[in-house]
Amino acid sequence: MSDQRDIVRANSDGDGTGDIAETENSTPRLLFNPPIDIYETNDGLVLYADLPGVNAEGLDLQIQDNRLALFGRVKTPSNTTGVVHEEYKIGDFLRSFILSDDVDHERITARLNNGVLRVELPRASRTEPRRIEVSTD
Amino acid sequence: MPVFRWGQNWDPFRDLEREVDRLLQGMNLSLQRSARRFPLINLIDSGDRFVLTAEIPGVELSDLELTAANGVLMIKGVRNPPQEAREDSFRRQERFQGAWQRSLQLPDRIDEDGMKAEYSLGILTVVLPKVAGIAARSIPITEGPA
Repeated sequence: MSDQRDIVRANSDGDGTGDIAETENSTPRLLFNPPIDIYETNDGLVLYADLPGVNAEGLDLQIQDNRLALFGRVKTPSNTTGVVHEEYKIGDFLRSFILSDDVDHERITARLNNGVLRVELPRASRTEPRRIEVSTD
Repeated sequence: MPVFRWGQNWDPFRDLEREVDRLLQGMNLSLQRSARRFPLINLIDSGDRFVLTAEIPGVELSDLELTAANGVLMIKGVRNPPQEAREDSFRRQERFQGAWQRSLQLPDRIDEDGMKAEYSLGILTVVLPKVAGIAARSIPITEGPA
């Protein structure tokens, strides 16, 4: 058994998180780096990410080897013709973070509301010193 | 001929921005969303109506205000930082915060009474039905003094 700790689910596709948009169907998808906030609280860290157009089913949040990766898939609108004015493109969101060792992976929680993801990264409680019994052969 | 005219009537940089955007779009890169303007707005002409969408993640409906008067559509609101976060506790702060406002001149063929708006997944969608049946009117020209 591997000692892999996944918060939500492991990526069963097997290709992990790429740096370039996945090409499930041949049309390339745009990939954006969502803006984030990170602040400290008494219990640890809180992370916010703007992911407009992403619902809970389209969000994949995973952690492996201290790397927290978020991927949000946005539904592509059927009608993309007749653009009169365009300030933003439609694409998916990808960003990853390196967590420090004192984040308790087991207690990470996440919530998605109105296109904003909030992830709580609680600090691990200081581990008690543990005595290791030494035996002789 | 532009159907739509935005807040500022003349902005020489907009065309340039659009060109650069188009170039960037061609390269399938990871792009950082622009935080200069908030919210970002798209407008689509889908035949019998215009559909405006704006990316406004994380606002409460009660903090969102949409008005139409004298042919101007205005969206405004506030995006508050989390109450528990102290100013000095931020390690990274990239998300837009505070009060914002965007307004745009509606084309005159909009049925203002038939407008509908919906907020879902952080995206505001406003449907602006066109007024049907305005045929081109022929204006008679008379010969003026020589």
